[in-house]
This record gives sequence, structure tokens and C-alpha cells, in this order.
Amino acid sequence: MTLLRTEGLTKHFGGVAAVDNLALKVEEGEILGLIGPNGSGKTTALNLLSGFLAPDAGRAWLADEEITRLRPPALARRGVLRMFQMTRVFPRITAFDNLVTAGLARGLAEGEAVGRARHLLDELTLSPVQYLDAGQLSGGQRKLLEFGMCFIAPPRLALLDEPFAAVHPVMRDTMARFIRARNAEGHTFVLVSHDMPIVVELCHRAACMNAGRLIAAGPTRDVLRDTAVIEAYLGSGANA
Amino acid sequence: MSGERNLWSARLAADLRAALAIVMVLAVVPLFVSSPYWLGVLVVSIYFALLALGWNLLAGFTGQFSLAPAAFAMIGAYVTGLLDYHLKAPLWIGIPAAIAGTAALGWLLGRIVLRLKGPYLALTTLSFAEIARVVIGNSYVFTRGDQGLNVPTLMQSRVGYYYLFLGVLALVLVALHRLMRGRAGRFWLAIRDDDIGAESRGINVVRYKTLAFALSCAICGLAGSLYGTFSQLVSPELGLLLQTGLVISMVVIGGMGTLTGPVVGALLVYVSSEWLRAVGNIQLIVFSAAVIVFARFFRAGLWGLATRRR
Repeated sequence: MTLLRTEGLTKHFGGVAAVDNLALKVEEGEILGLIGPNGSGKTTALNLLSGFLAPDAGRAWLADEEITRLRPPALARRGVLRMFQMTRVFPRITAFDNLVTAGLARGLAEGEAVGRARHLLDELTLSPVQYLDAGQLSGGQRKLLEFGMCFIAPPRLALLDEPFAAVHPVMRDTMARFIRARNAEGHTFVLVSHDMPIVVELCHRAACMNAGRLIAAGPTRDVLRDTAVIEAYLGSGANA
Repeated sequence: MSGERNLWSARLAADLRAALAIVMVLAVVPLFVSSPYWLGVLVVSIYFALLALGWNLLAGFTGQFSLAPAAFAMIGAYVTGLLDYHLKAPLWIGIPAAIAGTAALGWLLGRIVLRLKGPYLALTTLSFAEIARVVIGNSYVFTRGDQGLNVPTLMQSRVGYYYLFLGVLALVLVALHRLMRGRAGRFWLAIRDDDIGAESRGINVVRYKTLAFALSCAICGLAGSLYGTFSQLVSPELGLLLQTGLVISMVVIGGMGTLTGPVVGALLVYVSSEWLRAVGNIQLIVFSAAVIVFARFFRAGLWGLATRRR
């Protein structure tokens, strides 16, 4: 079943088409890697899908419901959760309180949010720092915390923007393990990443963008062998 | 585990205990202080503590820097005064009407400034405050303008007023604790720390920012209304920017984002300003210097210093 579908999604900044006529499909239960060189429009696409930007044209559906112009809180209520490249945790309250707050925001009762927060802290190896303010955590710990905030109540679709960027290898493994475990439970992900080994390792399918346009989509290894994708990353003389 | 003391619910519980301990100490003050003048000073200090708590809800807990708390106190006082002046409405109508009226205006202001931050937010609230003050000051027929408006008193006893203000302070503290302990309080902290992050987690930032404005202004309106009945005179001077500056300095010195800080700050600043009056008109210089020192070196304020985690 198709969980997320876009048609003709377009966003301009001035004269530049940051996202141009994007037609994307994400199947339920898959991990889709959204790849492309810097400036190709991946983050803008996530901003459109998570409601932080309104498209100039085009439409998007979550299952059968149109979600084109819904704001982030409305999308979060429908289970579309976003993780940012630059983490957005709440720095002046503890890691534990961050998780409880995220749980309450998703509509959990306080007792349930507390229980799930404790479980996630264990799973994400954050228990030793749970009573520190989130602003005191390392960059990698904050990313793990943001994972927990996304998953305090199971999302229908998790949009992850560069979760592995500038993260210690041990934490990277923890994150990868977390994504695999949640995917095995049936959760769906769109993963934006420049880290090709991890895209190959985790993603069932990939979609590559360049200059705002979708230039290839399909099984991950096929996309990475696609001539247009190689040219987008390495330039037009790459196959010479 | 000792780290649990750092959890929001534990911090807040300790904060409320300390604030209520101050209220209890204040409750026995009339046993030792019989001077009507000093009781009056303490009543005005508690009035400022209420304003400081109202402003702190918005600025300290929600991160919305408003320059209008004194204006809302003035509006609250005028709602009560004008209802009596024009309609002979009793105070049991006038005081709740002040709360409801300032909450409604606060809600409206919250909607207007929803997308504004930093200096733009501060300037817009300042403009609102000045417009309100000038309109009241110039509407002589309706408000008696700069001459001020007489307001009936609730009681003749100064000690009675003292305990009334103290009781209201305790109620506001307990109500704020309940709010901050629950869903709304946690969402306000999230908005303060990162409103985009809050929105992405599913928090309705529009609703909770507006709610914070409405409640903050309602607390200021309640304080102003009670102050009007205590002083039996309201004038546009209640809404002077200088008064707002005093409220901000109380919160900064006492500790932003806490319950105890604004109470400590209000008592300290106002009572010492009365002491300093004897030395000469240097209060503003002293408090401005104190604000600079606290903003630069002790951003958590006095309450933050007292509870600093080692």
C-alpha cells in the first residue's frame, strides 16, 4: 500500500526551483533513501512533506487523505514526524522531560509518556544522561534523543534529515539498529543522507534528486548505478 | 537517584515549596510590623509580585518578551473603575470583569504578535501599551483622563488588604504550579526553548502562545484591579513603561522561569526602593545597575543562584 504520494510538488525561492514537479511514492513499511548532491532539494522536499513549507504547486497524500497544506502539528497528529539535520530538542529541560513532552504532544497520557520515555532511554543508551538538560548532551546524544521524541508514540511516517551526519560511529550504529528494529515492526521511513554505505545498508529503495527534480527512483543499488545519478554527483564526464 | 531532582516536576515542586514558604513568612509579618506605611509598602510589593509572575509566565516560561504588563494592570484597574463610575457595578462584578477583559485583550494581542520574535515582539507590545495609556489619558469624558478615576475600596483595614493580596498571591502561585506541571506548562517550555521543534512534535504553538498571553494578561489585570481598590485611585501612570521596567528588573534579579524568583525579586526591589528613597532618588540607578550585573553574571537570578546544581 502506498503511504505517501506526491504529484507535481513544486517550491520556488526567488527564481530558483528548489523542488520542481516532484512525484514521489513511499510504500508502507519501507525505508526510502532520498539522496542527491548538496542543493538538490532534499531538505526542501522534507520541509514540504512535514508542513514547514507550503508548496507553490502540486499535492501530497498520506494514504487516502490529502495533506498538501497541513501545518506541522496537524501532520504530527496524523503520525508524520520530522527529525532535523540540526537537532531540535528542548535544551533547558532534561532528556527525560524532552521525551515526556514529546509524548504529551502526541496525545499520550502522562503515565504512558513516562513509561515509554524510560523504555526509549534504555533502548537508545541515554539512561546515564537522562537527568541532564538536553543542552548539555553531545551532538550525537541529541540526535538519539530526537529519535526517541519521534518514536515516543509510533509514527506512521518518519522523515529523517541527515541523522548520521557528524555522529560518532558507535552512536551511528545505535541509530541504524534503532531504525532497523522499528522498520521490522512495520514503521515507514524517508531517510535523507549523504552516507551512501548506510543508505545501501538500510534503504529498500532510493530516490535521487538533482536541481530540484527527481532523476531516478527504484531499488537502492540500481539507483546508485544509474548514469544520471553518477553524473549528478560526479559531473557529466564521470562515465567517460 | 539524586539526578531526579533535576526533573521538571521535581524542580517545580521545590520552587513552589520555596515560594509558599515566603508567603508563610509574609503571613506573620503583621504580627511584628504595625506601621500602616510599611504594610502599604508590602501590599504594593505583592502587587508587583503578581505582575512579575504574570510577566514571567509569558517571558520566563514561554519565551515571549512583552513590554505590556503594566499596561494590562492599568487596563484591569480601569475596567473595575469604569464599571463602577459609569454603571455603579459592584466590585464582585468589577474585579472578575477586569480579569476577563484583560484575558480577552491579551488573547487578541497574542494573535496579533503570533509570528513576531525578539525586538519586533517587544516593540509591538510596547506600542500597544503606549496606545492604551495615551487613549485612556486623553479620553477625559469617559475615563476622566490624567485626573484619574476613583475606585471604591473593598475594605478599610490595611491588614485586611495585606492578607487579601497575600491570599491572591498564594492562589496564583498554586494555579501557576498546576499549569506548569501539566501539559500546557510543558508545551510552554518547549515553545520557549524551540518553537519550530515544538511544532514538529505536534504542539499547537498558535494555541499555546495565545493562551500564555491571555493568562499572563489576566494575572496582570487581576493585580491592577485589586491595586485600584486598594489605592482607591487609578490613573494612566499605572501603565507607564517605567513600571514595566520595574517588573522586568524584579524578574531578572529574582530569577526568570521560576515561581520563587519573581516573588523574591518584587519584594527585594520594591522594599529596598522604599529604603533607598531615604538616601535620595537613586533607586532607578541602583536597580538598573543590578539588572546589568545579573544579566551579565547571574542570568538565573537570585533563585537560580540559591538552587545552583553542583
